Amino acid sequence: MARFRLKDSDEYYLALSEQPKRFDADSPVTNVFFDDSNGQVFTVRSGGVTGVTVTGMDKSKSTSFRMEDRGPIISIKFSPDLKILAIQRNQDNQNATVEFVNFKDLAPTNVEYSHTCKWKNAKILGFVWPKVNEITFITDHGIELLQVIPDKKQLKSLKNTSFSCAWFSWCSQSNIVLLAGNNGVLLQPFSLNNSTITKLQKLELEATRPVVERDVFTLRLCDATWCAIFRHAQSATVAAPGPTEVWLMPITGPSGFHYTHVLKTGLVGRFAVNVVDDLVVVHHQASQTSQVFDIMEQSKPENGCVIHIPVVGGVSLQPAALGDGPCAMYSDTWVVFQPHYIIDARLGCLWRVHLIPAGLAHSVPKDEISKIVAVLLRRTDGKDAIYRVLNQLVAEAGTYLVQLSDVFDEIHTVYRKWADLEMARNTAGQGAPADSSRGGGRPRVLISQAELCAHVLQQHSEAVHLVQVVTAYVASLARAGLVVQQAAAELAVRALVTRGAAARLRAMLRRAALQDARPLACALLSLGHLDPAAAQLALDMLYRLKGYEEVVEVLLSWDEPVAALGAARQAGLGTLPPRKLLQAARAHAQAHGRPTAFTAIYHALQARNERTRGSPHFLKGEQCDSYVEYYKQITAEPQ
Amino acid sequence: MIDVKAKISSFFIFNSSFGPREGEELQRILYFYPSQTSADSQKMQVGLCEAVIKFMSTFSQKPCEALRTQTKKYIFYQPEKGYWMVLVVRIPYTTKAMSAIGESKGTDFVIPSVMFDLLKSSYKMFRMFRGLFKNFSIEEIYSVCDQFFTPYILSRNISNDVADVIQGINYLPLDKNSFFKVLCFIDLLELNYPQFKCISFIYNEQLIWNGLDTDDMLTLYQYLVQSLLPKEVEKEIHGGAVAAAQRHGRFIYPPEGNQEEKLMKVYLKREEDSEAKQYYLVVYRTMSATICLTVDVNVEVQPEMLRSLDAFIGPQLSTIASTIGEQCTIHALQTAQLLSEHKFVYFNRLNLAFKTSPSVTKLHPSTAVKPEVLSIIADIHTDKKRYVHLGNYGEIIIKTPDEYWITGKSSNDREFYVIIQEKNANLKEIADEVRRICETQMKGIFFYPM
Repeated sequence: MARFRLKDSDEYYLALSEQPKRFDADSPVTNVFFDDSNGQVFTVRSGGVTGVTVTGMDKSKSTSFRMEDRGPIISIKFSPDLKILAIQRNQDNQNATVEFVNFKDLAPTNVEYSHTCKWKNAKILGFVWPKVNEITFITDHGIELLQVIPDKKQLKSLKNTSFSCAWFSWCSQSNIVLLAGNNGVLLQPFSLNNSTITKLQKLELEATRPVVERDVFTLRLCDATWCAIFRHAQSATVAAPGPTEVWLMPITGPSGFHYTHVLKTGLVGRFAVNVVDDLVVVHHQASQTSQVFDIMEQSKPENGCVIHIPVVGGVSLQPAALGDGPCAMYSDTWVVFQPHYIIDARLGCLWRVHLIPAGLAHSVPKDEISKIVAVLLRRTDGKDAIYRVLNQLVAEAGTYLVQLSDVFDEIHTVYRKWADLEMARNTAGQGAPADSSRGGGRPRVLISQAELCAHVLQQHSEAVHLVQVVTAYVASLARAGLVVQQAAAELAVRALVTRGAAARLRAMLRRAALQDARPLACALLSLGHLDPAAAQLALDMLYRLKGYEEVVEVLLSWDEPVAALGAARQAGLGTLPPRKLLQAARAHAQAHGRPTAFTAIYHALQARNERTRGSPHFLKGEQCDSYVEYYKQITAEPQ
Repeated sequence: MIDVKAKISSFFIFNSSFGPREGEELQRILYFYPSQTSADSQKMQVGLCEAVIKFMSTFSQKPCEALRTQTKKYIFYQPEKGYWMVLVVRIPYTTKAMSAIGESKGTDFVIPSVMFDLLKSSYKMFRMFRGLFKNFSIEEIYSVCDQFFTPYILSRNISNDVADVIQGINYLPLDKNSFFKVLCFIDLLELNYPQFKCISFIYNEQLIWNGLDTDDMLTLYQYLVQSLLPKEVEKEIHGGAVAAAQRHGRFIYPPEGNQEEKLMKVYLKREEDSEAKQYYLVVYRTMSATICLTVDVNVEVQPEMLRSLDAFIGPQLSTIASTIGEQCTIHALQTAQLLSEHKFVYFNRLNLAFKTSPSVTKLHPSTAVKPEVLSIIADIHTDKKRYVHLGNYGEIIIKTPDEYWITGKSSNDREFYVIIQEKNANLKEIADEVRRICETQMKGIFFYPM
């Protein structure tokens, strides 16, 4: 199968942020912590005595300070507003306690306090900040939601739930915590929104295949929250272990997400997962590749499961540079955090993973181009890559006409869906709130007809197969049930006429593939001297549009004064200046030597005068004297 | 009805420059039908025509068009300089003796414009398949004409139908999505097989797409619809279709898609070209859809090429054909509601589109158009006679003595005729009825108001 290669594109579709955030590397005296909620790296030197440095992706989240060393730190995290620092230490002899330090302008104040969780013998597995001034302790006995009152140096218990838990996974974007119980067979999600704890539908796994902590992630993807689980083949029982799959099980989200999505990696070994622009990225260390999966792609569910394969073949992340030299990729010291962070603790680097949309189209089997464009249509920055793909397809339309047509269809399907939603929203009235969270918002990439014409079609006025391309475009619009807007119609007319495909244009007009519109009719009229059939259709169109005044003008310019009078009368244009008609009639009479047209019109106008004003004479303001003279002259008895 | 054998007295082609000297008269006659006519009789008829044409040229710059005698009518047509085609038909006449016994042949006559069209289309057909007369040498031309015109004349069967009075193309009304399916398929075909040109698409007997100059298209369309396809449909009815359906489709030309020597050559002009070129004709058919393609004669048509074409066209064409079939059924249901009790005819001079009221003739033979009515329509259409002159814009209502009202409308290069059989109507009622029919049947088409 021939492959489509996007010009000037790299094979890489994923890259690390150009400048990593640097921090002190992990060492015997330095401990490194990462908080994925705020995206901050904490480097704690000598237990904080020689300093704590906080590095965030942006400067406003970076700071450094000193603190006392009160024992080894297990976890350290700022509250979302960066005003309270919470520290959990390993203190075997004490109760489960978390320390708090109030901060002001990213600098510590001397206000310190601590809180012990309600279960006396519990072990704190971790804590999370679901909200400003709200903290949740996750313990092996259950979870406790507390309100922090920094001014009073107090915490107030809001809610707690008992659950026997071994480990947990936290999703900061949706404030959902997933607790693992029953030796990793039962996964119980809780929502920590609205200052309360809500128990959600539990996920039960096969008793024979429990999961371990490193294989479970809670992800926010496509406005839904998912539990992602690496399902490794059971190597103990099977001689040749099968490849690893990633199972995405829905926790909460808009309706429509009730299937388990199975991502087939086709690989075995160590994996890590990121979410980049609603794509699931599965990094594989052994092969140094990162696969991307799009769960929004069209596929049929089977047995409640939707199977996905990578969007394109796995390629490594774009090699990053560190200082002057290359940076080791996929190294053992990499730690991957949600949703899109990668940390190399030994090098002291924090990166964000981002998508290079054009890379997805770098090398695509010919018949998968439209699939890739569909994927790009769901990406935030996909538009540019789509234009590039389209421009190349149009330039090489001789090879890619079918694919081009499919790509147009993808674009128009998205547009149509959006237009329908807009329509429904408008008809529902102002009372209905814009419900963008339900997946009904503006699509990531919405390409209007004007944009497509400006960015793609207009660039190719010299293309060899322009006629076929324009036909495919208009055909695709028709399939999607979209009205061809003025920009596209103008372009189609120009392209077809300049390429000698006027017959095709007329055939389209006859089948109403281009909708009636005044500008279109005018464009066709102006072609009339080259192509009389176009003018014929233009006049029909004006008539259907009820543009009677224009019809009259056209007929007058075609030297058809009698027909013009008829049209004027039919449209009830009693106000049409008689001078105009008489002038055309006299010109006609003199040119053809047939005065009958003039007399007919003269009589009709007189009858009109009689009817409207009670007298057959023309008004002075109508300036018809010379025509009255002419009438007398041609109707005079021969001497 | 022109029954060829009964009506056509003779049909001949001559060129006076081929035998300028006395005694060489027979050489001037390129073709003569019926061929068994004696040489003397042939010479006499041709001589008469030569003389009349020559004589008339002293009066007018325009070449002579017709000659009428008591028993015959001669129609002249000079397609190329010096080449004259003449059609001679017997016309009804009465003699004193015959009228005395009440016998008359007056009801059955041939409309002159139909005869002229017959001449013209026979020449166009000749030009499409053989080329211009002047391109043939004197040695060849006699046999070429004989081979072409004898079967052609014998196969022509002109009934008294509006379709023979107004020569047009029946376009298939199709919704835009089905139309685009056809068009995109043709684009794809042209891209993948650039050697194939002038692709036309016909469904049943209705044209959907053509890439030819309209004039040439009419000729090719007439050839396909009147002569080639009826034969093929006949074959399909007798079982050939089953085998064809198994293979998606089949080649009509060249037969079975592999016999090179049987390739047919045609002269055609594409829409964007200014001159006719010679091509091989390839016709492919599936279900009711027929695709007509041409290949430049300089391209060697190889069996593999046709096999690959078959593989490409076959599956796609059959899906398209079934889509169109569905659309046609829907369309038929819609038009059934619009069924008009009066017969109408629509013709667009710019694209030769021709449409008549849904053919009730097959179900109700009584509503077939009477020859007199047809003759009036032919007169209005051909615009020859002053008293029915419509020009580019006008309307005329004619009442025949036997209760027929014929309305002809002309506007914006379109013609519209309505035939109403109503004894006790008045002019206003007829005009109103025509307006109503025009509005319901020709929706969206602008006829200049009166």
